[in-house]
Amino acid sequence: MPQKGFFTDTTICIGCKACEVACKEWNQLPDDGFVFSGLSYDNTVELGASTWRHVAFIERPVALGNQETALGNFSWLMMSDVCKHCTRAGCLESCPTGAIVRTEFDSVFVQPDVCNGCGYCVVSCPFGVIDRRADDGLAWKCTLCYDRLKDDLEPACAKACPTDSIKFGDLIELRLMAEKRVEELHERGLTEAYLYGADPATQPGTEGLNAFFLLVDKPEVYNLPSDPVAPAKRSGAAWASLAVAGVGLVAAAVAAIWSDDESSGS
Amino acid sequence: MNPVVPDENAVATYYGRPVLKQPVWIWTVPAYFYVGGISGAVLVLGAVAQIKRDPGLRPLVIAARRLGFIGQAVGSVLLIADLGKPSRFLNMLRVFRPLSPLSMGSWVLAVGGALSGLASILPQKHRSTRSLSDVSGLAAGALGIPLAGYTGVLLANSAIPVWQGARHSLPALFVSSSVASCASLFEMMELSPREQRIVHRFGVIGKTAELICITAMERQLSEREAVVKPLRNGVAGALWTVSKVLTVASLALTLMPGQSKARRTAGVLGTIAGIGLRFAVFQAGFASSRNPKAVV
Amino acid sequence: MAECHPVGFRWAMEAKARGATLIHVDPRFTRTSAVADIHVPIRVGSDIVFLGGIVRYILENERYFHDYVVNYTNAPVIISPEFRDTEDLDGLFSGWNQDEHRYDQSSWRYSDEPADPTLQHPRSVFQILKRHYSRYTPAMVEDACGVPERLFLRVAETLCHNSGRDRTSAFCYAVGWTQHTVGAQYIRTASIIQLLLGNIGRPGGGILALRGHASIQGSTDIPTLFNLLPGYLPMPTAGVDVSLKAYLDAHTAGSGWWSELPKYAVSLLKAYFGEAANANNDFCFDHLPFINGNHSHMSTVADMADGKLKGYFVLGENPVVGSMNGRLQVEGLRRLDWLVVRDLALIETADFWRDAPEKFPTEVFFFPAAAHTEKDGSFTNTQRLLQWHHQAIDPPGDCRSDLDFILDLGRRLKALYASSTEAKDRPIQQVTWDYTNAESVLAEINGFGVTDRRPISRFTELKDDGTTACGCWIYCGSFADNKNQPARRKPGHEQHWVAPEWGWSWPNNRRILYNRASADTKGRPWSERKKYVWWNPDAKTWEGYDTPDFILDRPPDYRPSEDAKNLERISGIDPFIMNVDGKGWIFAPTGLLDGPLPTHYEPLESAIENPLYKQQLNPALLEWRRRDNPYHRPFDDPRFPYVLTTYRLTEHHTAGGMSRWLSWLAELQPEMFCEVSPELAEEKGLRNGGWATITTARAQIEARVLVTPRMPALRVGRRTIHQIGLPYHWGSKGLVRGDSANDLIAFVADPNVSIQESKALTGNIEPGRRRS
Repeated sequence: MPQKGFFTDTTICIGCKACEVACKEWNQLPDDGFVFSGLSYDNTVELGASTWRHVAFIERPVALGNQETALGNFSWLMMSDVCKHCTRAGCLESCPTGAIVRTEFDSVFVQPDVCNGCGYCVVSCPFGVIDRRADDGLAWKCTLCYDRLKDDLEPACAKACPTDSIKFGDLIELRLMAEKRVEELHERGLTEAYLYGADPATQPGTEGLNAFFLLVDKPEVYNLPSDPVAPAKRSGAAWASLAVAGVGLVAAAVAAIWSDDESSGS
Repeated sequence: MNPVVPDENAVATYYGRPVLKQPVWIWTVPAYFYVGGISGAVLVLGAVAQIKRDPGLRPLVIAARRLGFIGQAVGSVLLIADLGKPSRFLNMLRVFRPLSPLSMGSWVLAVGGALSGLASILPQKHRSTRSLSDVSGLAAGALGIPLAGYTGVLLANSAIPVWQGARHSLPALFVSSSVASCASLFEMMELSPREQRIVHRFGVIGKTAELICITAMERQLSEREAVVKPLRNGVAGALWTVSKVLTVASLALTLMPGQSKARRTAGVLGTIAGIGLRFAVFQAGFASSRNPKAVV
Repeated sequence: MAECHPVGFRWAMEAKARGATLIHVDPRFTRTSAVADIHVPIRVGSDIVFLGGIVRYILENERYFHDYVVNYTNAPVIISPEFRDTEDLDGLFSGWNQDEHRYDQSSWRYSDEPADPTLQHPRSVFQILKRHYSRYTPAMVEDACGVPERLFLRVAETLCHNSGRDRTSAFCYAVGWTQHTVGAQYIRTASIIQLLLGNIGRPGGGILALRGHASIQGSTDIPTLFNLLPGYLPMPTAGVDVSLKAYLDAHTAGSGWWSELPKYAVSLLKAYFGEAANANNDFCFDHLPFINGNHSHMSTVADMADGKLKGYFVLGENPVVGSMNGRLQVEGLRRLDWLVVRDLALIETADFWRDAPEKFPTEVFFFPAAAHTEKDGSFTNTQRLLQWHHQAIDPPGDCRSDLDFILDLGRRLKALYASSTEAKDRPIQQVTWDYTNAESVLAEINGFGVTDRRPISRFTELKDDGTTACGCWIYCGSFADNKNQPARRKPGHEQHWVAPEWGWSWPNNRRILYNRASADTKGRPWSERKKYVWWNPDAKTWEGYDTPDFILDRPPDYRPSEDAKNLERISGIDPFIMNVDGKGWIFAPTGLLDGPLPTHYEPLESAIENPLYKQQLNPALLEWRRRDNPYHRPFDDPRFPYVLTTYRLTEHHTAGGMSRWLSWLAELQPEMFCEVSPELAEEKGLRNGGWATITTARAQIEARVLVTPRMPALRVGRRTIHQIGLPYHWGSKGLVRGDSANDLIAFVADPNVSIQESKALTGNIEPGRRRS
């Protein structure tokens, strides 16, 4: 089964939020409250347990390379954020119940009938995607519409996206398409375009994302980490620290117990 | 709030919003760090005492097993209380995942708890049950080694900058703190002179090691201001400082020769310090998760 | 377009992907601007200066498509010597009658002199045009619109460069252009540009009117407008159209398709009144309602507020929020005897009475409505495309479709009046009412032979002798061969690029109107690249990728004889067959109440004096001078120094009936907010995320504040004009509530179509919440 994923081309996102609504409707997710954020047109603010697509809006005092406006140095970036379905997924590697699994489509899926809400995945995601719902105590995130994929349908967000900013398909094809698109944009004057998370070489910490992006500014501007790492890739040092300390613990116990003998001195 | 354009010169953020999610854990988790840590340390102490085959140490061995088991039982309750769906706590044993410290820790706690429980319950009078209880006790002791500090690995194996940033030292810190806390707990009890001496040595080693680990951790984290910040500000910062001071005080009092009142006070201070340290580290994670500039 | 038509906008993005240049002209930087190649911020209400500037640029630099202009437009026509332009009368045309508040248009007509194909005659339309727009210079554009000259010139040049034989350009507009007192003239200016550039009737060209609503095109075709009958036949006027003959004589044109008007009108009457309508009784012509004035929305509501109306049906509309001057709207509703509202939720118009401080006698009926997925029916979109939608599930509970409701209402009325002997009740007794379902309605709209009931395929088969019935002549063919043509769904990849087998467009499934203009005077395509329809000399017929919009067997070299009548008068080079002379009208001798050429007038309430003429406002605009509809001073009103404009957001739909009750939409834009520039925010102490109160003489509203560079202050002349943006979706009910922006707007309208001026007005803003 070929790996499936998303290529989100933010240069053609029109910020319509059809992806947010389609996702909520398909998955019957609850609303997240009705609060005016004052953050441009982004009242959703972040991904979470009941928001699996989030459109970010960035008004910046920098012009786009291929756009002219009488506003001068100004542009408005839009980006539909989603779970990255990482190749090295922090949430999956941390999950103690095995609720989080890799599907036959290479996506990362939380089985809601197994999860016991321990919350370890929540702190293990370097992108801040997954969270625990207050009402049912379970961890939830984008499923890459696993149920739809099993019936040969594309995910709801990709289907709803009117400009095809969200492209769904075979990861290999998407990566080729994305590279071509970057080249094309460079030729058209948008030299700041680049791919985020498209392959292990540029993002070794996750070894590549199944949901990768075409961006035109630094990742932090979009609320993405510039060097995300699946925590297990770095935990060797921690296990080593525990091992050394463990030896020390035994030594301390031995010292405490044995040096009580007059013969061994203290 | 000013117009919504990011400051070009500063480190860019998305309106100053966090990148990461805050932990969903409650106070029972750092309470478990403390309780479980002591369990681990005391089970190791008890197992080593058992290996010496000194009848004079038998009460210590039995007490260690019991204390270890009570700690594991209470610890399990604390952890289950934190679950989003507590009724599914058994799912912790559904898989065995070496990459996940929480998975490994769940097994250590579960198996170790069974073993220490068995070792505690089995009557000592008959040779066969006594042998079985000894084997169980030893095995529980072996599992006590990771139990004493795997929670440090658990925190370090996360995306939270202050926890991940301290990954070289945090597990060692938790192990040494477990030793120190275990000793401090005993320092508040009625002990025989021999037991007092054992606890004294155990405590001095533990508290010294703890202070060394604290220093190492601070030094490592200080490389990035945004990462170390939670240990210097707010509730976490206050708890961290208090714990350091009390650990020093506890060590000082432990080193003072003789006086039982000093010993008891050392125990009290060391206990507060041990609890405070776990909560400080725990709390620091919350502040750290909220700071987008701490994330790389 | 991205804000209000995100799905339709996919095609603009597709064009951009294939190399098209997207130019966005708007007072704000919206989600459309974010993906446009060029964005032009413009002062609200100044578009005629901008577009007029482009007209001038085209003429000055001789960038017009010469052969197209000479042959297919009325540019060579000589206008009456009595005509005076705004250049002569400082902003007025000849014939203005101040007492009657209207133009006498006789001086605008064509003279009898022969047309001048060299376009040099001083009274040729071409030269009049040139003179009329001579003051619309790039400097004037910068001064009046706040658009830097350099950017304006870039737009004009890009447009010209991309027009001609090999390339075409399209204009897309919505109510940012229409909702002004000169709204119709905005569209006219764009039409002039497109005619000069040869972009009408050609693939990739034209002017696309983006309607605000899924089937609002359908609601003007089968109209809900007071002055139209289906197919844009005029509604008869009392005292004037005293008989069918008088009506037909007045409205039948000498040439073009309107010369066949009697066939459309009689067939319509046969559809309405069936067997009761025959030649002896004028086909029941007198059964039609006759108008005797302007019964448009604002006039009707003003009458309502004066106690002149008894009842009101409101179907799928929320005027208390969506129409202007909410207080006057509510005043109108309170004076009614009865009010019927049908909608998906208890919208403000149905529920306003709950918050009223004192009781009043209006009886309010609310009927829950079915959603579009719960009923069969059609949408007609902005491209005149009819698409059928099938019922997917049953409506819940008591919800029923409008069709169901109206059919039932009709049956009950017929039963109620069945035994009446009064003449006034005969229309109800005699109206045909035997529909069974939505398709049966479409079948009647399509038309059928009266004796054999066979569906008619083309409107050219309609007769004026009572043998054909047709509910709407332009929809004739939608049920051809007894098949629901709008229900066709042949995928695009199984057809050629015009895809005529997806849905059905009027008339005759024609996709581009006036497509005769895509070929030259000899019937050959202007270029291979833009080939669309052409004359086949061997088969002696027009053919191509689309239904040719021309008489199929009329050769390009046909010229009518002197005594030719009606359709015979259409020559082989008359692509604009709805006009009596078959040409595209650059100069409109009739048809518009406020001038034959678009002229810049300021909105009723502006910040500045008209920089171009002494005449400040559209002289013919419709006003309602009433105590409950107070106006500001036309310019420099010290109470209201800022410019306001209203608009939609993607997340909500118009007056909110379909979005404010849906949690997934409501949470996307939960509160009413205003958009202000950082400069204005600083000047008035407005804080991002805080509150502001916006005031006009009509009302005061509160809103959250969004400080953003996207709502720029503009340099206009020597002044800085601040514009405040107001989305208008909120009302007092629903999951998310807020004040209604449209409360601020007065009743004032364009004279041609009675559309309100909601895009440009003045107001004031202060920090803090509303105190009342």
